[in-house]
Amino acid sequence: MTAVLDGPTGTEALAATLAERALQARRLVVDMAASERGCHLGGSLSVLDILIAALHRAAADDGTEVVLSKGHAAAGLYAALHVSGMLPENPAPLYGRAGQPYTGHPGPKVPGVRFPTGSLGHGVPYAAGWALARRLGGQRGLGIAVAGDGELQEGLVWETCQVAAAQELGNFVLVVDRNGGQNDGLVADISPLPHLTERFAAFGFEVAEVDGHDPAALGELFATDRSAARSPLAVVAHTVKGKGVPAVEGKAGSHYVTIDATRAAKWKRAIR
Amino acid sequence: MTLSGRDAYRDELTTLAAEDTALVCLEADLGGKNHPFQTAYPERFFNLGIAEGAMVDMAAGLAAGGYKPFVSTFAPFAALRAAESLKLALGYLNAGITVVAPYAGVSGAWFGTTHHCLEDFAVLRSVPGVTIAAPYGEAEMRAVVRSAVRDGRPHYIRTGRNAAYESLIPDGAELPLVTWEFEAADPEDVCLVSVGEEGTRLALEARSATGASHAHLVYVDHEHLAGAAAELAARHTRFVVVEEHRGQGGVAEALALLLPRCEVTGVNAGHDWPAEGGDHHEVMARLGFDLPAVLSAVALLRTGAPGPVPAGSGVR
Repeated sequence: MTAVLDGPTGTEALAATLAERALQARRLVVDMAASERGCHLGGSLSVLDILIAALHRAAADDGTEVVLSKGHAAAGLYAALHVSGMLPENPAPLYGRAGQPYTGHPGPKVPGVRFPTGSLGHGVPYAAGWALARRLGGQRGLGIAVAGDGELQEGLVWETCQVAAAQELGNFVLVVDRNGGQNDGLVADISPLPHLTERFAAFGFEVAEVDGHDPAALGELFATDRSAARSPLAVVAHTVKGKGVPAVEGKAGSHYVTIDATRAAKWKRAIR
Repeated sequence: MTLSGRDAYRDELTTLAAEDTALVCLEADLGGKNHPFQTAYPERFFNLGIAEGAMVDMAAGLAAGGYKPFVSTFAPFAALRAAESLKLALGYLNAGITVVAPYAGVSGAWFGTTHHCLEDFAVLRSVPGVTIAAPYGEAEMRAVVRSAVRDGRPHYIRTGRNAAYESLIPDGAELPLVTWEFEAADPEDVCLVSVGEEGTRLALEARSATGASHAHLVYVDHEHLAGAAAELAARHTRFVVVEEHRGQGGVAEALALLLPRCEVTGVNAGHDWPAEGGDHHEVMARLGFDLPAVLSAVALLRTGAPGPVPAGSGVR
């Protein structure tokens, strides 16, 4: 399938743009971890590169909708929306504050957010319904759901996978941020997901595996024209919890973090 | 011959879909074969399979994409299994989705506890912004569906299984806030307030037997009930509310709060579990929701003493 987007010319230029946005976004996420409320830091950092690449596709204004189904990574979404130009104000100083829309799980009061998520599983069918609407209207655009691997324990995800395959929703994309962690520990220790790619294939999905921190690969993936596809696409994106902040990278304990300003400054200097 | 509530829904929606191309119809494997909407507009009909939560959430996606989804599955699966999806999509998102829920109350009869729903008013009434309707008969169902399509706001419409009832309004009429089917001369006398299919049937029978006034309600969400309560209070002060629902979270409880200067009692399905066989009326009677219970409630309000009540019947 061919790419549909213009934007920065060439894969390298696009990758450089997305990578620069990710650096900025990581700093914002650390700022939110340093707020009075703290944030779901590890999952926000693992999903950032995916979100930034997906939002780049949505910015092409072809009717693509990105739904962060793992809504607890709200800090990551707010940061990604801001660096992508869809959220004009800096959300970090406002995060968690009274009267502000930047709650710990996102809702449609935030510019660029259409659906409320955080009760896990719901974002997947929201995106599938969006994809169905686009197809029904003969319109282009993808419904992209970004889910966590722990989230795949929810039955609603698999209900939707069955429906999406049965309805031949080729414009529906389910991206799994496979960081291996969930609230109480490791996915592998709590309710593992063996043969994940084979599972999606068995449901009738096309399946792709990707490095979830490779902007070039992600950019190329989301640029694909799927208007003629008859099977939905599952993307297993291998990621690292806490990615980019060495102090928490790969640590299950980074799931929810509250830090002070001194530590935040140190962590931001170390972001890579 | 009048149609059942769910047949009237299917037919009216199919008729409206000719003019309104934004209407889409979703089912979760319980819409039956030869669905008229599927026959007429197969491109806008989706049987999503046994996936109630996904159906409601996907309807939110369709609504965001500019469509008017009507989704249908049995009341216990809509109001209870998909309750969180209803809260988020119909409540928080205020999405223009209409949920049509047959098999409400114990209309599933011998199908057993899993297929009964005596809790849907309580669940949906607690979600702000959802219009809740319990039409009685074909004309009322058609009027409710037309209204839901017109105003585009979230709706929950409960109906029964296959029983058919003659509506209290003529075909094609719009629904008043309160339908006064019969009004006695004495405002001090008891007024029966009927809700839903079997609640209304029982109230009509009780009205014939007692001569009490009868006010019929179709919309039972808070906003509609607040308006109806004012109209009721302008004419009567003592009410017996008849509804196929549990007492908790039901219409009688709501009206009692809205009418603090009035006497409001309810005849309903109580606390027991409908776990035995029988037809619809036999299961209702087992729960104490039957004509003797309504007559006893009227007698209690009129005289302070209940009339004769057979074992198993009760006033709550």
